[in-house]
Amino acid sequence: MIESLVFYFLAFLVIGFAVVVVTSRNIFHSALALTAALSVVAGIFALLGADFLAASQVLVYVGGIMIIMLFVVMLSQQPTDAIRSQSNPQWPFALLFAIAIAAELVQKYRTFFGAVEARPGILPTSAPIGRLLLTEMVIPFEAVSLVLLAALVGAVVFAQDRQESRLP
Amino acid sequence: MLELGPFLSSMIQGGRSWAVSHGVPPIGAQIAIMSMEVGITILLVSLVPMVLVYAERKVSAFMQARLGPMEVGPFGILQTLADGIKLMFKEDVIPEGADRWVHIFAPIIACGPAFVCFAPLPFGKGLTLVDLDTSILFIFAVSGLSTIGIMMGGWGSGNKFSMLGGIRAAAQLVSYEIPRVLSVVPLLMFYGTQSLKGIALAQQARIWGFFPKWFIFYFPIGPIAFIIFLICSVAETNRTPFDIAEAESELVAGFHTEFSGLKFALFFLAEYAYVFLASAMAAALFLGGGDGFGIIPTWISFLMKTFAMSFTFLWFRWTFPRMRVDQLMSFCWKFLLPLALINILLTGAWILFRS
Amino acid sequence: MRLYHFLALSGILFSIGIYGVLSRRNILGILMSIELMFNAANINLVAFNQFLYPGNVWGQGFVVFVITLAAAEAVVGLSLVLAIYRNIKSVYTENMNILHG
Repeated sequence: MIESLVFYFLAFLVIGFAVVVVTSRNIFHSALALTAALSVVAGIFALLGADFLAASQVLVYVGGIMIIMLFVVMLSQQPTDAIRSQSNPQWPFALLFAIAIAAELVQKYRTFFGAVEARPGILPTSAPIGRLLLTEMVIPFEAVSLVLLAALVGAVVFAQDRQESRLP
Repeated sequence: MLELGPFLSSMIQGGRSWAVSHGVPPIGAQIAIMSMEVGITILLVSLVPMVLVYAERKVSAFMQARLGPMEVGPFGILQTLADGIKLMFKEDVIPEGADRWVHIFAPIIACGPAFVCFAPLPFGKGLTLVDLDTSILFIFAVSGLSTIGIMMGGWGSGNKFSMLGGIRAAAQLVSYEIPRVLSVVPLLMFYGTQSLKGIALAQQARIWGFFPKWFIFYFPIGPIAFIIFLICSVAETNRTPFDIAEAESELVAGFHTEFSGLKFALFFLAEYAYVFLASAMAAALFLGGGDGFGIIPTWISFLMKTFAMSFTFLWFRWTFPRMRVDQLMSFCWKFLLPLALINILLTGAWILFRS
Repeated sequence: MRLYHFLALSGILFSIGIYGVLSRRNILGILMSIELMFNAANINLVAFNQFLYPGNVWGQGFVVFVITLAAAEAVVGLSLVLAIYRNIKSVYTENMNILHG
């Protein structure tokens, strides 16, 4: 009972913040709303019993990705941004498309999984996840580390300020 | 023995059974007890920064051969209280160019997580409020939220100095978060748990019956991890020598230039709460937690270690000059990060040879 | 609290992300919407794991990979945004047309 109330509250918050993310005219407000939405998603993970994922969600998304995103927002703002419209002319079609997809997904989920009602048990998950990552998932794990290295190098290459490009 | 934990828990148990026998529903008594515990923790978190502010002023004064605050109360111990009251009654100014709501919420978001982070700290035997399985990850994750508050303060003030301070704070905090987390990984590998309480308890054994098995004494992995953790914690709290985010001589006051009154006080509170949090983490992770050699009660021993670490933080601030931005970044990425990775490798080798 | 509730939440979140990707003019807004879609998928994975296969953590292991790849994607995307901003002084998609023939 209490869990259901908590779930509805968190779901309401996530959807509210997500709507702010896609509709706000001020991109900095969008980024802050996204930060809040991701933190609440961490709360949903905790509700589902995934404590390790909740913590790493906050650590990686809020402590890392969102800070870099706010950083880039701060670096790439122009004074005219506040008075310009932030959505392109095709937004009514986008809205229709999104509503269609949402309705379809919700309806299909309801048909196929409407009856599943298991009690998610709260167990410590960090040790099993670590064991899984280093035994059965070890090849994807190593591949992901390569991807991260490539992303690191790529980000440095893209973002560095080449001196010759400044010349007239 | 002057153990506080068993005494408090027996008192709480007695209170609960008394309340239940007098007709209070058990869940109500449980909620009341939990809110009492949370209230005590929050009181502690708000009290500790006041002590630390006073300590900082006194320590800096002694390091500069002054007396420091002497007027309010004996030896000026009530000075922080007076300052707090003064800040509370100051006019609250929101600048005209400010992003209003961002400006208002920035100090709250910077300060709020500090309170949450104190929940899993092992203050001594039976004095852990919440014993989470992933408490180290939890503390790192939640304390990272404060950076968002600092950036909101930098952006929401509508001031170029604040903005520069916010950008610098973001770059610095994101960079130093990485070696800070990596410096703790050897402990997780060594003790095989992520619980702060578990790690603190595992260090209370003895080598040859007298020498404490604190992690800092495992040469070389312990001292390296400790030094990286210490440096990165100083950087995470935005204090000199890493205070480029609020460098007075360059940026007025950085991200909190435009904040006045209680909002400024909240930023201040957050900074000292994080100093205390980092000291407490260092005490629990590297210095054996509440290990008092069986003579000193665990909570007194823990607090003594924590305040000794806090003194180190204050000492750093008043002895080192500020680093330049590029020095700061290259120090983090080219020295601390490789050192932390090498330390993880060494720990792996150690564990391999131990088994 | 049923599985269907979590799945419905993730579906709605996903479609909000789709709306953002299709309707935003700002590249940063598009990147943020993509993050929303990643999170919708994560909720889905964790919910399926906890409700249908309690006792193993494969779904959560996948979420670890999704979070990692989202971090890599965000870093590369944001550095591209910075590079583009340095060249054309704009973060709006309709201005990125210097390859027009």
